[in-house]
Amino acid sequence: MEHIILVRYGEIHLKGLNRPFFERKLIEGIHNALAGFGAKVRREQGRIYVLGVSDDRVEEACDNLTRVFGVHSVSPAASVEKDWNVIVETAAKMVEEETAGGKMTFKVFSRRADKRFPMNSENINHELGHELLVRFPNLSVDVRSPELKVCVEIRDKAFLYVREIMGAGGMPTGTAGRAALLISGGIDSPVAGYLMAKRGLELSAVHFYSYPYTSERARDKVIDLARLVSRYAGPIRLHLVPFTDIQLAIYEQCPPKETTILMRRLMMRIAEMIAEKDGALALITGEALGQVASQTLESLCVTDDAVHMPVFRPLIGFDKEDIVTIAKKINTFETSILPYEDCCTVFVPQHPVTKPDVKKLRESEAMVDFSEMIEKAIAATELIDVR
Amino acid sequence: MIYLDNSATTRTLPEAAQAVQHYMTEGFFNPAAAYSPAVESERAVNGARSRLASALHVTADEILFTSGGTESNNMAILGSLGAMRGKGRIIVSAVEHPSVYEVMRAKGKEYELVEAPVNKEGALDLNALAGLLNENTQLVSCMQVNNETGAVNDIAALGRLVKKTAPQALLHVDGVQGFLKVPFDARNCDLYSISGHKFHGPKGVGALYVRKGTRFIGGQIGGGQEKNLRSGTTNTPGIMGMDAALQYYLGNLDTMRGNMRECKLRLAKNLLAIPDVFINGPAPEEGAPHILNASFMGVRGEVLLHALEEKKIYVSTGSACSAHKKGKNRILNAMGVIGDRQEGAIRFSFSAFNTPEEMDETAEAIAGLLAMLRRFKRR
Repeated sequence: MEHIILVRYGEIHLKGLNRPFFERKLIEGIHNALAGFGAKVRREQGRIYVLGVSDDRVEEACDNLTRVFGVHSVSPAASVEKDWNVIVETAAKMVEEETAGGKMTFKVFSRRADKRFPMNSENINHELGHELLVRFPNLSVDVRSPELKVCVEIRDKAFLYVREIMGAGGMPTGTAGRAALLISGGIDSPVAGYLMAKRGLELSAVHFYSYPYTSERARDKVIDLARLVSRYAGPIRLHLVPFTDIQLAIYEQCPPKETTILMRRLMMRIAEMIAEKDGALALITGEALGQVASQTLESLCVTDDAVHMPVFRPLIGFDKEDIVTIAKKINTFETSILPYEDCCTVFVPQHPVTKPDVKKLRESEAMVDFSEMIEKAIAATELIDVR
Repeated sequence: MIYLDNSATTRTLPEAAQAVQHYMTEGFFNPAAAYSPAVESERAVNGARSRLASALHVTADEILFTSGGTESNNMAILGSLGAMRGKGRIIVSAVEHPSVYEVMRAKGKEYELVEAPVNKEGALDLNALAGLLNENTQLVSCMQVNNETGAVNDIAALGRLVKKTAPQALLHVDGVQGFLKVPFDARNCDLYSISGHKFHGPKGVGALYVRKGTRFIGGQIGGGQEKNLRSGTTNTPGIMGMDAALQYYLGNLDTMRGNMRECKLRLAKNLLAIPDVFINGPAPEEGAPHILNASFMGVRGEVLLHALEEKKIYVSTGSACSAHKKGKNRILNAMGVIGDRQEGAIRFSFSAFNTPEEMDETAEAIAGLLAMLRRFKRR
């Protein structure tokens, strides 16, 4: 008997002529997730098989695979000869492990891809079910909602499995191109990055820091967050932009009520310039409508006005609670709530404008010539390849 | 580098580091083993125990070696309360370190916990404490030196007060910041905690003095080391490293204290020449020689800290665990240092190896930074 892992993929089936491209990207993602496992990946008939993972690392490999975008579900399986006795013995061993002698309802679910196998799937269901009932008196059949599903697939080998672990879903990384995420160190932006990467985007990330108003730890925190997101999204090109000079200039030369929204506009502009260099076609932010003053509809219009690229805001309709749920799921929450000052909170005015006017903000921005400062900031930007 | 965060930790002395290495690579034997090299290690540890005891004016059998200040404080409180009958009153000063304060708060579920107030310098208010002590009081815990402001508590007077008004109560003194920095006699209290790395010893080692005859239960159970009160293989390198630092300190005691005091006074004088700077806590010539707390109005302590960091000058906001939240500094709150004055507070803590020139450089750097930083404040 050999341990293998079955990988099912979902939405890719919808793609027509592009399907091989999507499948190739998915396999790439699987290879990345299983680097160091010595695994071989095989694709046939709408399935992916992972072979060669040592027994004691199958669980770890499955866990990694559930984070690969495009994977619908995975099942650790036994691959055995297409010999009826062997199949029965293997199934019995699996049932024994799962039930541990306890009561359980079950059904057999089989599929016969290799039509040369003498029994059809109906026969296999009946016969194997019978064998198992005889051996395990505590088992009973429930075909509608069984506690245990014993699955048999007859292909070039017989594959048996009892578990199906849900994967991350989405589209394989790199099938949708690249976008640049504005990452702050809070709860929202890593979730936004995750959600867009899930749709197949590769990520660049842009972080603004304002030393000495922010600490070295805040910077490490952003790198840690990018690393956590990259467990799903693959390698992230993280750009760290020094922002203090621009912030001080805004503070000294622009109307106090507008400092936050002007800061947002300048961040967007710098992010767009970095995105272009990285070959990214869109920006991603973690904004949710109405969450804070800079996230009202008017404010979002004003920030969008600063750039040409489309701005993706996957959290726009989310409540904070929903965002936190995802952050916990992808394991960024604990890091996000570490209490280091990030640059957004330092120069916050007491009463920021909540309904800014595009024309007026353009004028305010034009009062200061930021171009040189922006150039300087970009020149001093540090790139970290996070993986 | 100008290192002014010696209350957080100190640089290990070469003498101490050498002792650590020696007892790791040469005298590494388990002092509990039966053969002669192990006996030698045991003798070395016993020697260290005696020397520490005499520095505290107590006897060697009253000293337990621990893993540091936090363990000593935990053990002092839990070990003494655990051996007492009844659930009476326990008193903690409002400015204690979390390793005392949080333990007392946890015990507050079973005991009647009372917080003793401090004056605006951060020292215990003995008059107020006198009113809190009663015949039900079982334990009083108080620090020797306030780690934010350097205010020194008069432990002799405190000891007399406790003995007079609540003779049954035990007095625990947290000496982590105070030991060696200010004169002290452990006979004035029942329990006294110290930590090796605060006086140029290694991290991970400390001690607890438990007065002879004190009913006390141990914490860690196992091989019966430290009079069966604190099991665990004896940390010979740590203990011998701490001992080396102690000997160095004792051999140069007046110079060490003098150097620190000189630095403190020099920096205080320099800082007070800058507009809108206030000293928190006792007047610089009073208080412990190694801690100075100042508020720089119009800037956040954290921002000034990071700006100084760029110039390789390292200080503390004195409240590392809660610096990010406005008004959350429990210790400054208890002293009535609030609002802008709390936000702009920085703690400078000195070692004998700092120099007056460093103080001039630091003050100069601060003056320059303030001129820039004060232009930008939240409006």
